[in-house]
Amino acid sequence: MIEALSRRNFLKMGAVTTGALVVGEFVPPVVAQIATEAGMLNASGDGYIPTMCEMCVWRCGLIAKVKDGRVVKLDGNPDHPHSKGHLCVRGQSGLMNTYDPDRVLKPLIRVGKRGEGKFREASWDEALDLTASHMQRIKDTYGPEAMVFSSTHNLSQVQFENLLYAFGSPNYGTQRSLCFNAMIVANQMTYGMEEPERIYDDQLQYVILTGRNLFEAISTSETGELSEAISRGVKVVYLDPRFTKTAAKASEWLPIKPGTDLAFHLALLNVIIKEKLYNESFVEAYTIGFDDLAQEVQDFTPEWAAPLTEIPAETIRRIAQEFAAAAPYALAHNGWRTSNFINSFQTQRAITILNALVGNWNVTMKASAGESSGALGTPPQPPYPRSSAMRLDGVPYKYPVVPLKLGVFQELRDNIVSGEPYQAHGWFISRQNPIMSLPDRTKTLKAFEKMDFIATVDIFLNDTAWFSDIVLPEASYLERYDPLLPVGSRVFLRQPVIEPQGEAKSALWIYKQLGERLGLGDFFQYTDEEDYIRQQLAPLGVTLDEIRMNGYVELPASEEEEEPSFTWNTPSGKIELFSDTLDRVGFPGVPTWQAPPQPPQGQFYLLTGKVAQATQFATQNNQLLKKYADEPRLWLNNSVAEDRGMEDGDWVEVTSQVGKVHIRLKVTQGIRPDCVYLTPGYGHLSKGLTAAYGVGASDSALHVTYTDPASGSQALTQTFVTIRKV
Amino acid sequence: MSHTFNTPRYGFLIDASKCIDCRTCMVSCSVENNVSMETTRIWIKETGVTGTFPDLSRYTVPYHCMHCVDPSCVSACTVGALQRTEDGIVKYDNDICIGCRYCMYACPFEVPNYEWDQQLPLVVKCDMCFSRLEEGQQPACAQTCPTGAIQFGKYEDMLALAHRMIEENPGKYVDHIYGEEENGGTATLYISPVPFEELGFPIAGTTSPAYSNRLVTEGTPLVAGAMLVGLSGAYLTIKNEKEEAEEERRLAEQTPVAAGEEDSHAS
Repeated sequence: MIEALSRRNFLKMGAVTTGALVVGEFVPPVVAQIATEAGMLNASGDGYIPTMCEMCVWRCGLIAKVKDGRVVKLDGNPDHPHSKGHLCVRGQSGLMNTYDPDRVLKPLIRVGKRGEGKFREASWDEALDLTASHMQRIKDTYGPEAMVFSSTHNLSQVQFENLLYAFGSPNYGTQRSLCFNAMIVANQMTYGMEEPERIYDDQLQYVILTGRNLFEAISTSETGELSEAISRGVKVVYLDPRFTKTAAKASEWLPIKPGTDLAFHLALLNVIIKEKLYNESFVEAYTIGFDDLAQEVQDFTPEWAAPLTEIPAETIRRIAQEFAAAAPYALAHNGWRTSNFINSFQTQRAITILNALVGNWNVTMKASAGESSGALGTPPQPPYPRSSAMRLDGVPYKYPVVPLKLGVFQELRDNIVSGEPYQAHGWFISRQNPIMSLPDRTKTLKAFEKMDFIATVDIFLNDTAWFSDIVLPEASYLERYDPLLPVGSRVFLRQPVIEPQGEAKSALWIYKQLGERLGLGDFFQYTDEEDYIRQQLAPLGVTLDEIRMNGYVELPASEEEEEPSFTWNTPSGKIELFSDTLDRVGFPGVPTWQAPPQPPQGQFYLLTGKVAQATQFATQNNQLLKKYADEPRLWLNNSVAEDRGMEDGDWVEVTSQVGKVHIRLKVTQGIRPDCVYLTPGYGHLSKGLTAAYGVGASDSALHVTYTDPASGSQALTQTFVTIRKV
Repeated sequence: MSHTFNTPRYGFLIDASKCIDCRTCMVSCSVENNVSMETTRIWIKETGVTGTFPDLSRYTVPYHCMHCVDPSCVSACTVGALQRTEDGIVKYDNDICIGCRYCMYACPFEVPNYEWDQQLPLVVKCDMCFSRLEEGQQPACAQTCPTGAIQFGKYEDMLALAHRMIEENPGKYVDHIYGEEENGGTATLYISPVPFEELGFPIAGTTSPAYSNRLVTEGTPLVAGAMLVGLSGAYLTIKNEKEEAEEERRLAEQTPVAAGEEDSHAS
């Protein structure tokens, strides 16, 4: 379909390649013209254009260097708070995604069996008409709820949601339950907000990272802030069963037994309460439920936690004392994905409460300015139709405290397979890859088999697109506009720096086209992407052309002097150590111990965790990242390897309850003897990903589905495996 | 030809305590300089995981051309493809290079890389992103480093910063700025919490072997045979100097540098 480019000199190819890749009619170079008029490109078409990265969800500001109609370099935008002039390794590789020879550049319609990868190219009209007619048929036959919609945390998410709500389906699959539901629900229940912002200023003295591997799971600004803090001499205690790159930089690495982070944190609470190390006036003034908490944790002593965590009692006690002594300049980091066991929700609650007890609010943590788009305009639209159907993911009737917009994705998949409480028939997926993201890949493929119709929007034939009926090619983030993004006091613009290649189109355009074909045109009252952004900017009194050069606009300063706030959006208005909301629906009102399952004799905990050179399952095909990433292998402790007669580089078979993979061993001291670690996101099924196909093994093929009943989180470390040499 | 070597105008200061082995510098360099997929201008040097579980450590550091004050590669290059500019940048001109690889043998830091996969292979090495400097930008690696492990600026400032970092953080770094004296001084400077030998850095002498190379490349008629004989002479000189320097270093590093060095990392 698309001729593979040589892996060499991809950037040099210039005009010839562009010409070869362009399919269809001639499109005048609008992007260059606009950029030249805005003063960003010179007469020869060379210059710099600010926009936003999309290699992960941190969304750094970037400045793209453009030469002869091609983007040749990306650097961090110093004016953006997430990049501060830097990009991480994925951000630096971003133009390789755009110029990936595996890009899909025309709409595709499946002609072979699902999963065979046989497609024919089609015009946009044909592909959109066909997609809309399938969606309409499913709606007319089974009701709108029989269409499942899934997409996660993109800038165009607001218009994706618009399409699903206008269509009338309650079935919305985000990937958040595979990531940070436990953290977010715990923060909601304790602080009444999704995630407080962390402050790494000069006063900070002490940080506890519970599995937050900030030097491999990089969030550019925060990674830089932590590194600076370490250089200043801030003490960093890092809990992880594995010696990660963060462990190598931490002041103290504690190779904790998997699933027992909760015991560790309960013991910290125990010491801090028993030894009266908490901030009494803060607790008195701003929290509720201290007595319930004190009573609950009174037996969770360091001596109790030591055999569980395999961390000495005196170490736990010392850390509690040090943390309290450093307070309020102390921070217990919530982590990003700590849904490792179904007790992780309790762990998250314990961490949030540890912060509250030492009174670090507005010192090392504060309410996040967030990404609220309240100050921006929106296109007019009619009210959404009411949807009375139950959600397939069990929210809220099975998961009463999980927010609707988070959902429980793995439960949605399970109920597609079971057909309960009703059968879903169609799946519209945008830039998401459930085949790789959901646990138990075999089961996800079964869910796909249940579908009459699957359409996927993406820039590649990712694994999900590979199994789809229609693939709608999206323009890459360097080729398109997206809705504006407020960050702190500024609103940032994603604008195209080059023309879309082939016939790729923006998500804003694709959703509108589908909406119109589904008779929902009133919900998409914008003529094109620029018009959408103009309507967003209207209340600010600035034009799109005025903000192109900087790539952002300052929001008008609030009239009132901003005082640090000590109120919280919880039912009590205080920080809830005891949560009545949780108690009423049958969950513990204060955090308590829940023993995690342990691997049977001869089996290992299966750990996963990010590497710096990949984002989830989306970047393994990027040749620049592949060039500099380590080969994904299974880590095994050296003493265990020796006992079993295994050597570094040996091929092994890894077997869980639901799957089996083959992978090469990496024998290392840097992991507990009861664990193995697999780099996640590899082992792709799509042969349309020519660089990634055949590399590594899939963690999702091994992961067993375990859902925390409180937060809906998938417990990613509760899978146990056996290994044998092959 | 006279050989007075001015102090470099620009310098790097690379701090192994800050490197998180994310490899952003490598990708940034690859893109900026259109480096082919099979080669690189930057490497990561590392100690590997050392110690006994759970008392482990690991250090890494990006490694690229040192930009010597008196570069051995320049002196070994028979065609003048390698030149040191007024600013102290050791530049490489692939239009002139004949792919003889003498520079690779001459460099005491093992820096020039070779396009082994090419039909007409050329040498690949850092040129301090001089075209970015002309536009007022930092080199691609330094600009993007998420932790600031790679600093770039005026050479004097970088050298002063290196000394200050060591003085102001007793016990944190070994008392050695790699590049301050190596090979007669280089524009790329390193500081590290562990001896450089453990990071796999070559042990270089404090004088450049360039002088002996020049005796060959400039003093001998450019006849192929003579060149080969001459350069093997230069090779032996380098080899000998490397061995002497290694011994010198071993003795120096047996002496404790600063109190608390062993506590500088996770215990």
